[in-house]
Amino acid sequence: MQQRTVTITNRLGLHARAAARLVKLAAAFNSRISLSRCDGREASADARSILAVLMLAATQNTQLQITTEGEDEVMAMEALCSLIADRFGEN
Amino acid sequence: MPGTTRRLREERFEGIGVCNGVAIGAAFLVDDPRGRVLRVFLPPEEIEAEVARLHQAVQAAQQQLQDARKRLQDALGDEYAWILEAHLLLLQDSSFIRQIEQFIRERRANAEWAVKDVTRKLLDVYATISDEYLRERSSDITDVTNRLIRILAGTKPRDLSALAQEAIIVADDLLPSVTAELDTGKVLGFVCNTGGPTSHTAIIARSLGIPAAVGLRNITSRVRSGETIIIDGSTGTVIVRPTPETLRFYSEQREREQQQLLRDLEERELPSITADGTKIALRANIELLDDTEPLHRYNAEGIGLYRSEFLYSQVQSGLPTEEEQFEVYKILAETSGAAGAVIRTFDLGGDKLRLEGFEEEPNPALGLRAIRLSLTIEEVFRTQLRAILRAAAFGNLKIVLPLISNLDELRSAKRIIAEVERELREQKIRHGEDIEIGVMVEVPAAVVMVETLAREADFFSLGTNDLIQYLLAVDRVNENVSRLYEPLHPAVLRAIKYAADAAHKTQIPLSVCGEMASNPAQVVVLLGLGIRDFSMTPAAIPQVRRIIRAVDLNQAREIAAHAISLTTPAEVNRYVQTQIARRWAHFLTPAPTFV
Repeated sequence: MQQRTVTITNRLGLHARAAARLVKLAAAFNSRISLSRCDGREASADARSILAVLMLAATQNTQLQITTEGEDEVMAMEALCSLIADRFGEN
Repeated sequence: MPGTTRRLREERFEGIGVCNGVAIGAAFLVDDPRGRVLRVFLPPEEIEAEVARLHQAVQAAQQQLQDARKRLQDALGDEYAWILEAHLLLLQDSSFIRQIEQFIRERRANAEWAVKDVTRKLLDVYATISDEYLRERSSDITDVTNRLIRILAGTKPRDLSALAQEAIIVADDLLPSVTAELDTGKVLGFVCNTGGPTSHTAIIARSLGIPAAVGLRNITSRVRSGETIIIDGSTGTVIVRPTPETLRFYSEQREREQQQLLRDLEERELPSITADGTKIALRANIELLDDTEPLHRYNAEGIGLYRSEFLYSQVQSGLPTEEEQFEVYKILAETSGAAGAVIRTFDLGGDKLRLEGFEEEPNPALGLRAIRLSLTIEEVFRTQLRAILRAAAFGNLKIVLPLISNLDELRSAKRIIAEVERELREQKIRHGEDIEIGVMVEVPAAVVMVETLAREADFFSLGTNDLIQYLLAVDRVNENVSRLYEPLHPAVLRAIKYAADAAHKTQIPLSVCGEMASNPAQVVVLLGLGIRDFSMTPAAIPQVRRIIRAVDLNQAREIAAHAISLTTPAEVNRYVQTQIARRWAHFLTPAPTFV
């Protein structure tokens, strides 16, 4: 199991487009992937459910804990972290 | 369409009939901005079929989104396609779809209801979190779920111009902007949740001569697009999913009506004179341009009232330009013949249409509307006047000013008209000269002041709808008080007599142009009060002509004199109905009333 804390840095946060990218990416791996807010608000979200991801209401500067578990957990973690660090490709 | 296959029972609803006749056809639901949906409890054996219907709709929605995404991707690039990707992911989100399924099973609800309710709960959760983010995300969710509901209900986003076949329009309320988009040739009837006998839906239906019922409260959530629906416009009854027996009953009634219509056509050339030989003018009220055809069909003596504000709603970009208006007024001038057309300047504001940039008023009927608005935003008024004066070069056009409550308003308007005319002369633009300017008598103050106004007005148009509303202080669309809206209230009759006498004395022509002019029984009373000029919805002309040809003016005077001496609306109604039934009932069958 991998666990890492990341900060959402893009201006709009995890809005629909960003969430869509994250969910698509998460679906490419076999590992179980979940996200939860570090402030404990909201239950942890299955990264494959866009509804759950949206419900995290992660705005800019929200800290999220990512958990990946499975055969490709390391790769999944790397991919997700770089997507977030890359601000979901937004300017 | 998944929404149209399942068979439900016949249901009847009672509304207000606003335009006579029977219509039978497929319902076409206009997308409801408030998003009301069909809500029915399902019998247990239908639950699984409903879940299957949900999944079909989800698949159809996915297909639509994939097609749209492809188009967007080609046109705008990858970034935009991601928005639709989010929508697609939502439809593929098993936790979301599971919630809807669960709602169907647990509540025995139809799928539309389930989607609506689950969405509402999600949005409620959103409402508790950061406001800033709420907007974008909730709109994505509603966008997807609305698509789903539309597919389930078989409705289309409001693209009414594309009515593929004849249909009965079902809507919350028929906004003028919606009607403007309608392919009216394919509309068999209107059914609305809200509205009263003189609402705009009613006016539009009558001008098109198609059956309509309003005030049905929640009809939009009781019928789906594609289902069979019957309107009985004379009683206000609406039947959805009729049984074969019901269908046969109403088909026969419709058949009889069509024969009556043929009779009307045969009689169209008969002169409009009373039994004792007095000539009566029967003119047409017009609001949409495709209306001028009935003018000839019913042999009307020109256009007694053109409600120009409908132009406003027909133009997508807001106010119609001078050229757009000119084109329309020119057609009116050319088609209305020697009798001509009376153009009422914009009657905007109030219960009708609001101009952007003006605050919603707490009391619109008493607010900045009609001539008040025209004199406030003079540029709009001048543009309209320029267009009318220019078109007046092509025929006999007159101007009537709505909602005049004092002489100053008439004077201001006339001054502006004179200025516009001078301007056209200076610019050497072809226009009509010395156009007649009339006053709408519809505010009680104008009734009282008719003799004074007569000195500076060329003619009067007595609008009974607004006059009754203001005289009796009744909002005609408000269901709580609409029963107090009594055209035959003694106060109304006395006010009309006062105006008719004053107009006669000052020798200024007066025409009655409200709904009263299309009701045969009320026309008899108006004849007796001294009215000789009527303007009405064209479809009412045959029956009004028929009664006029049967009535001797002495009889009409007798009836009016007695009616006006009575003390309550109920007494007058009873008396007039008895008199009409006794003397002329056979002329009124089979459709005696245009509400």
